[in-house]
Amino acid sequence: MTDWSLRVAESKQAMRKHLTSLPFGQKLALLERLRERRVAIASSPLRRQPSSGRASDKPQPVG
Amino acid sequence: MQADGVIVTYAIGGAVGAIFHLEPMDTVDLDVFVALRNLEAGPLISLASVYEYLTARGYKAEKEYIVVEGWPVQFLPPDSPLAQEALDSAIDTTVAGVKTRVMTAEHLVALALRLGRAKDFARILQFIEAEVLDTDKLNQILERHGLLEKWRQFSDRFLTNK
Repeated sequence: MTDWSLRVAESKQAMRKHLTSLPFGQKLALLERLRERRVAIASSPLRRQPSSGRASDKPQPVG
Repeated sequence: MQADGVIVTYAIGGAVGAIFHLEPMDTVDLDVFVALRNLEAGPLISLASVYEYLTARGYKAEKEYIVVEGWPVQFLPPDSPLAQEALDSAIDTTVAGVKTRVMTAEHLVALALRLGRAKDFARILQFIEAEVLDTDKLNQILERHGLLEKWRQFSDRFLTNK
C-alpha cells in the first residue's frame, strides 16, 4: 500500500468513526439524504438499464 | 399505538436499528418489532390491529408495509425467544424530542447471525469493525440462544486470517 492510499484509508476510517459518533437524529437525517440520492440515481436517464436478470446487475438494499 | 393499547412495546431493529450504533447506511425500510396485546389470536391476526390502527389514521398499506412519513415500515412480532429478548432489552433514546427504543448492538448481531444472509454477515462485520460490541454480553446472548456454533462458523469464514 502506498503512502497515499494509506492516508486515504485512514481518512475514510476517521470519517466512519465520526459518522458513527453522531447522534441518532443526525444519522437519520443523513439517511433521508441517502434515500433521496438513491431515488435520484435510480430515476436518472444516465443510469444503464440492466441487460439481464443477473443478481449482480441489481442494487442490493441494506435493510 | 403504545398509549392507545394496540401494542405493549416496540423496538427498532434491522438496518435503521444498526444505524443507531454504526455509521448511516442506505436502507429501503424500517423494521419495527412489536409486542402485541392479543397474541393468543396469532401474530398475523394481531398485526391486523396495528395495520387497522394506522390505516384509520391515513397511513397507506403497501404489501407488507405501512408507509409512515415516506418510510415503508414493516411491523414484526417477535418470532423467537431471541427476538423477544431483543425487544425487551432495547435501549431508550430520543429523536427530535420523540422517545423511541432501539435494539442493542449485541442483539442486532445475534439476530443477523441467526438470519445468516450475506447482507446480515456484512452487517455483523460492520459492528465488529466499528468496535461497538460488548464481547461478554454478545457471548452470553449467543450461548443463551444456541448460536455459538453459528458464531464459530462465521468467525472461521470471515474473521480468521487463512
